[in-house]
Amino acid sequence: MGAERNEIGPALDGLRVLDLTQVAAGPYSTMLLAFMGAEVIKVESCSRMDINRGRARPAPGDTRVYPGGEPGERPWNRAAHHVHRNINKLSVTLDLGAPRGKELFLDLARICDVLVENYRASVMDRLGLGYDAVSQANPQLIYVKISSQGDSGPERDYGSLGSTLEQTAGLASVTGYEGGPPLMTNETYPDPVVGILAFGALMAALRQRRATGRGCLVDLSQREVTSMLLGEAFLDYSANGRVAGTMGNRHWDMSPHGVYPCLGDDMWAAISVSAEDEWLGLCRCIGQPQLASDSRFQDLESRRRNQAELDQIISTWTLEKEHYQVMHMLQAHGVPAGAVLKANETLADPHLEDRGFWDVVDHPEAGTYKQTTTPWILSKNPRLPAIAAAGLGEHNFQVFNGLLGLSPGEIDDLVESGIAGYTPSDGA
Amino acid sequence: MESRYQILGDITVLDLSQGVAGPFCAKLLAGLGAEVVKVEPPGTGDPSRRSEPFLDGRPALENSALFAYLNTSKKSVTLDLGLAKHAQVLKRMAQDCDILVESFAPGYLDSMGLGYDNLSEANHGLIYVSVTPFGQSGPYRDYKGSDIVAQAIGALMYTIGLPDREPLKVGGEAALYTTGISAFSAAMLALHVRDTQGFGQHVDISAMDCMTVAQIHSSIHYQFGRTPVRRETNLVQAKDGWVSPGLDIGVQAGTWPKVCQLMGVPELTDDPRFSTPEGRRANQQELLGVVGEWAATKPKEEIYHTLQGLRTITGYVATVEDLLASRQFAHREFFRMVEDSELGDVVHPGAPFRIDDTIWQLSRAPRLGEHNEEVLGGRLGLSPEELTQLFSGGRA
Repeated sequence: MGAERNEIGPALDGLRVLDLTQVAAGPYSTMLLAFMGAEVIKVESCSRMDINRGRARPAPGDTRVYPGGEPGERPWNRAAHHVHRNINKLSVTLDLGAPRGKELFLDLARICDVLVENYRASVMDRLGLGYDAVSQANPQLIYVKISSQGDSGPERDYGSLGSTLEQTAGLASVTGYEGGPPLMTNETYPDPVVGILAFGALMAALRQRRATGRGCLVDLSQREVTSMLLGEAFLDYSANGRVAGTMGNRHWDMSPHGVYPCLGDDMWAAISVSAEDEWLGLCRCIGQPQLASDSRFQDLESRRRNQAELDQIISTWTLEKEHYQVMHMLQAHGVPAGAVLKANETLADPHLEDRGFWDVVDHPEAGTYKQTTTPWILSKNPRLPAIAAAGLGEHNFQVFNGLLGLSPGEIDDLVESGIAGYTPSDGA
Repeated sequence: MESRYQILGDITVLDLSQGVAGPFCAKLLAGLGAEVVKVEPPGTGDPSRRSEPFLDGRPALENSALFAYLNTSKKSVTLDLGLAKHAQVLKRMAQDCDILVESFAPGYLDSMGLGYDNLSEANHGLIYVSVTPFGQSGPYRDYKGSDIVAQAIGALMYTIGLPDREPLKVGGEAALYTTGISAFSAAMLALHVRDTQGFGQHVDISAMDCMTVAQIHSSIHYQFGRTPVRRETNLVQAKDGWVSPGLDIGVQAGTWPKVCQLMGVPELTDDPRFSTPEGRRANQQELLGVVGEWAATKPKEEIYHTLQGLRTITGYVATVEDLLASRQFAHREFFRMVEDSELGDVVHPGAPFRIDDTIWQLSRAPRLGEHNEEVLGGRLGLSPEELTQLFSGGRA
């Protein structure tokens, strides 16, 4: 396999993507494409950068995250979310409001295989650059439209963020302490989920293009995708009229099931027991084999009924151990368990390290850090190593000259007239 | 354009996976038109068949809502892979299948002669997707997992919940669904490679990797100097539920004065605490107090529509009941009735994306072993005698 591997290029070698995404779901999706070898050309304008880049001149009290809390000379190239979600992409700037900007944009569409955008659903149409316009310029183009609500319906043009999608798609209604109010993640969870799924949707569209010879529109509603994570709850309501609510860390089919306090400040380990051999393993592991014959805990139903008592017994044991120790000891007895890792701990975790999960990136303006990579490993097409997110307009020359054939003079004109550039315009 | 085209109409999938993540991946492949044959242990089937809630409230192998959702549009055959003669049958089935999805402990199928190296010898184009809690390599590879374990070890969970309480998981099986989505996209990527470059390969999906990818703020915030923590909620109580005002990110300058008018607090229009998005973010708890007073008497969906009409990014906490009644979902015909003459028709979520007029295939999940004769007899050509022999001495 070693010899074979050397001859194989990146999985998406030769695929060129016009990337109009911003914030999270879209950029995550195109970042995964770039990791797998696609040439991703991200288009922003100097007056409307990706929101991830923050303000050109952050006001005092701006809550965006910069390395060491310092916005620096060019904050738009240092903002955490920009740096973290735009690995391996080229950056160009174009004012899509200006006729010349639109013209060049369509020129780019002509030489790309794919366009991905996640604006409000009507934005591209209003610019005159919607699916009809770009597919006229390039009938082969696949247009991936990642919108909040989908490309039709009364809420078509509503705006959302990952945090509001958690609410409107139902996820928050089942997230919360037992019987308590709904709560949300601090990771805007729908964003990565949608980003990962949009990748697969594009692979399907590429296959369709190979069959038909024509491009197509991929209509993806972030709200619909997120609601799919609650599948069985819809069936339950449909069949039984039951509305799923918050149940904390409890589970229908498992007990014990939850997080247990460990040694140290705010340290926890998750434990879940479904099968009988797992329960017996847990009893042995915590040194209380007699629990296995205790009538309070004899089967799943009894354990669920007496879960508070059981949690107390387990917590007494976990409190004296570190969370990793709890995980390793229980796993040695065949019990599913995991340390509740904090961010600094995932960055140092030996398993992720061994799998080569993190890439170390040396960003010229943001410094050295460890980068999230891909949710898959392919045995023959490894992902590309992470290359730092580009500065605003860093690849203007490479793209406008190299791909569109503009002369240096013509590119200077674009910069002079404000259609392209390397720094945000005033007030951006 | 050919109408009613199935993108994976020429693809066959062997689904050996159990639980949530692998089956969800195979369900999505079936949605695109692949023929998916699910292989289950005779007698007991996929353990998710025994998961609550049950469609008619009664535990039975065919009634689990979770199983019914995760296994739409598949066929079911029963094989006991621990028996050499059954493993041999599976080996034959794998010779002309395109994608195999499995979720066994790493190394288990290899020990049965059914690993990637074994099966790809006779089928170079095979795409072999392994979906496990920790992946095929690394010190935790043999560890067992679950949804809550994945959320914990992937550092998603630490920042969910309230500061003075324990970490909280996202409800349902969110981590495992995400792992299944990752497996689906990776399988589609491997298929793209096979279509264009001609070879199959082994795809390694780890729930821990997937959750660490889903952690889109924590790792970078920590490294840039802001330690991620659990925070107070930013939801506001409406008359019948919860909303988030959505006034701090992506809102244009003209919106705030209109919101002040609407809420009957015009004096706050120029209040420096709230007049800029940064101000509203920095003074969030005070802002939530102001909005809360106004929202308390109004239905959540009315607030959502009214404020979205002013181009805010407002949200409301929808329940499954709300979504099944949503005008937006109804207009797009997202939910679909899946017919089942025995258990009764049930509403399912439909296609996760739409590509022109391609079909999203959605038919009821199979009964255990429902397609033994069709697949093992018809497809593999086993005679009735051979079929009887296959299941003799064991359970059919």
